Amino acid sequence: MLEVRGLHKVYDSHGRRVEAIGELTFTVEDGRFACVVGPSGCGKTTLLRCIAGLLPPTGGEVWVEGNQVTGPPPGLAVVFQEYGRSLFPWLRVRDNVELPLRAAGLSRARRRELATEALAAVGLADAYRAYPWQLSGGMQQRVAIARAVAYQPRVLLMDEPFAAVDAQTRADLEDLIRTVWRRLGVTLLFVTHDIDEAVYLGERVIVLSAAPTRIKEDLAIDLPVERDQLVTRADPRFTELRAHIYAQIQKFKHTAPQEELS
Amino acid sequence: MRVLGIVAGRIGLLFGLPAILVAIWWLASADSEHFLFRPLPDILVAFRETWLGPRLVEDLLPSLSRLAQGYAASLVLGIGAGVLIGSSRTLRALVEPVLELLRAIPPPALIPLIGLFAGIGDTRRIVIIIAGCVWPILLNTVEGVRAVDEVLADTCRSYRVRGLSRLRHLVLRSASPQIMTGARQALAIGIILMVISELQRTDRGIGYTVEQFQTSFRYPEMWSGVLLLGLLGVALSLLFRLADREILGWYHGLRATQKESR
Repeated sequence: MLEVRGLHKVYDSHGRRVEAIGELTFTVEDGRFACVVGPSGCGKTTLLRCIAGLLPPTGGEVWVEGNQVTGPPPGLAVVFQEYGRSLFPWLRVRDNVELPLRAAGLSRARRRELATEALAAVGLADAYRAYPWQLSGGMQQRVAIARAVAYQPRVLLMDEPFAAVDAQTRADLEDLIRTVWRRLGVTLLFVTHDIDEAVYLGERVIVLSAAPTRIKEDLAIDLPVERDQLVTRADPRFTELRAHIYAQIQKFKHTAPQEELS
Repeated sequence: MRVLGIVAGRIGLLFGLPAILVAIWWLASADSEHFLFRPLPDILVAFRETWLGPRLVEDLLPSLSRLAQGYAASLVLGIGAGVLIGSSRTLRALVEPVLELLRAIPPPALIPLIGLFAGIGDTRRIVIIIAGCVWPILLNTVEGVRAVDEVLADTCRSYRVRGLSRLRHLVLRSASPQIMTGARQALAIGIILMVISELQRTDRGIGYTVEQFQTSFRYPEMWSGVLLLGLLGVALSLLFRLADREILGWYHGLRATQKESR
């Protein structure tokens, strides 16, 4: 379970004070899939880094699996947007997947088993000997996902993981994430600026306001569990939900933040 | 046939110019009566008689062994201190001005000083080699460690890859291209200092032997020593290239991929 309570973040550097996150409180229950959308620059990445324990919040608390986050918590994995920079270029694909398991002290046989399984799950069973830079962008992001899967996290955070891949690859990866989530039963928080993607993927979409960020709306996505790129996206309910969120985001794009607060 | 042609072409490129230079030397020196510039065949005879015998063990090996010891110690010291300094901003601010000053002192200028505290034996000569070799390794390691990619560092943090595992799989590997650059510069400096350190208060070593031939007017032998040093330089640089390909194979592949995609 993932709990964010009264999270507040101010960047204070060189005398310039920027309030990135105003106040955020939400809970993602065990095994649920929540998406976070918001206009660009609304502190989505800041939120994710605070949850991951990579960034200390200015105020408020984050709890992962019943423990307060003070540093990167065990049992939590992150998939970053910059796949090219989050894989180790000097390690082959399988070693990339195995490294966190190695640091966790797993036996060689167990590591091999988990890595092989995870690579097969993302459709890269044959690429284990390649270096990441020998693969396409979409395949590299698959490796990053395989690494997260092999780590067997209870909470998985994804920071705009598909922002830098082409549309076709993106659709494939979206379906892959749905499959992985259902198979692992992991608690998933997926950050994106793409409203369609958020609606298509999540069971719930948390809509953020512009900075200083607050929750604008917390919306349940009542689409069938089985999602399909063609059928789901043509569903009238899908269109309705995405139009609703789009209107929300457009609305506070044009309003000054001060008015937003009142 | 085409492969043979390519191989022949590469060999031609590699040995073409040296072959031409040797031929010019041979022809130009053929009838030389000058006491200093002896005909090349005389020098080759002297080379065989001087070096392909006990001197190989008695003079070349001690020199090489001191070079190897000094170089290895420089690698350990330079990389060790470089990792420490590169990892800590405070330490860096503290020692960087001092390092710049120490690096700017030409190592031969330190020879009398080193003689004062390191005696006159092998230790003195090894310390002289270290005094010159350690700087490029140290400074390049500091730069390499500083430049560790932030996303990779975050990846390690969130997957709880820490301590020695982090040092080995993130810090050292990511700094390895710079470390190798420093090591290459250090090798060239090391060969020079190997010779210089033997010019005084020594009775063994290739530098000492060349010096002896010069003062006893045995010029073909002196030239043969110079030739041997040249060959030694080529051999060591080839060895270095092999090591480079082994250690930085991933880096050259990555660079080639990036160049292609541009």
